[in-house]
Amino acid sequence: MSPFDALTERAARHLAMHFSRRSFLARLGALLAGSATLPLLPIARGAAAAASPPEDDPTRCEYWRHCAIDGFLCACCGGSVTVCPPGTEMSPVTWIGTCRNPADGHDYLVSYNDCCGKGYCGRCFCNRNEGDRPIYYPHRSNDINWCAGTSTNVYHCSTAIVLGVAAEAQPER
Amino acid sequence: MRGALATLLVCLAAGGAAAQSLPETDYTLQCRGCHGPGGAGVPGQVPPLSGVAELLETPAGRARLLAVPGVRQSSLSDERLARLLEWVALRFSPAEGTPHFPPLSAGEVAELR
Repeated sequence: MSPFDALTERAARHLAMHFSRRSFLARLGALLAGSATLPLLPIARGAAAAASPPEDDPTRCEYWRHCAIDGFLCACCGGSVTVCPPGTEMSPVTWIGTCRNPADGHDYLVSYNDCCGKGYCGRCFCNRNEGDRPIYYPHRSNDINWCAGTSTNVYHCSTAIVLGVAAEAQPER
Repeated sequence: MRGALATLLVCLAAGGAAAQSLPETDYTLQCRGCHGPGGAGVPGQVPPLSGVAELLETPAGRARLLAVPGVRQSSLSDERLARLLEWVALRFSPAEGTPHFPPLSAGEVAELR
């Protein structure tokens, strides 16, 4: 008998004497169930969040729709990138720009409707100004308070709503 | 098989959103923020655009339209502004009747703005 065969035989006998088949199945089951719950752990979720690029994260200034935003992100203030937080109302008057989506290379029309009716949110302030014009072009400036047409002009945060695909990027870019 | 093909076609149609025309993009970037998607404006604050077609029917109306600050100070070229104003007139004119106005030329825009 070769040394390799002898080693294999000893290992097989050791396994057969110390572990039952039921024990093997139980351990395999525990391993499979444990693996399935790994992504639920906070550490795993944190790692997954860190892995997503900032231009895909609506709570980051680098999010692609935020290329011309000036204000607090509603996604950090109890709302979302398209919905105002509870207790505020969306301004029907807004400033609109274009942002290029890196995923498909198209220029999208993005409406930065402000949410109004509560004081400054204070979280996730962003000031990116692609296409922003001086305030003497009021309809092309993001520096003015766009809380108009609402019951109050108190500014809280800004959304970034896609209106469609633009025929071309805004001329001021 | 036929159902799968139909599903695929629906998915393709939903995924490939068509780009807006140039006048519609200009409207969205230059006008829509205040006048709204339907041109209705905001009562008491932003006027509606339903009267633009009527303004384009007379020389006095055309001069008045080109004197509106947002129009006169627009960064658009004379040609693109002319196409935008015609697009607005046709898009937001009242439902009854077809608007009748002479075409607006880039030269006329340059003269009046």
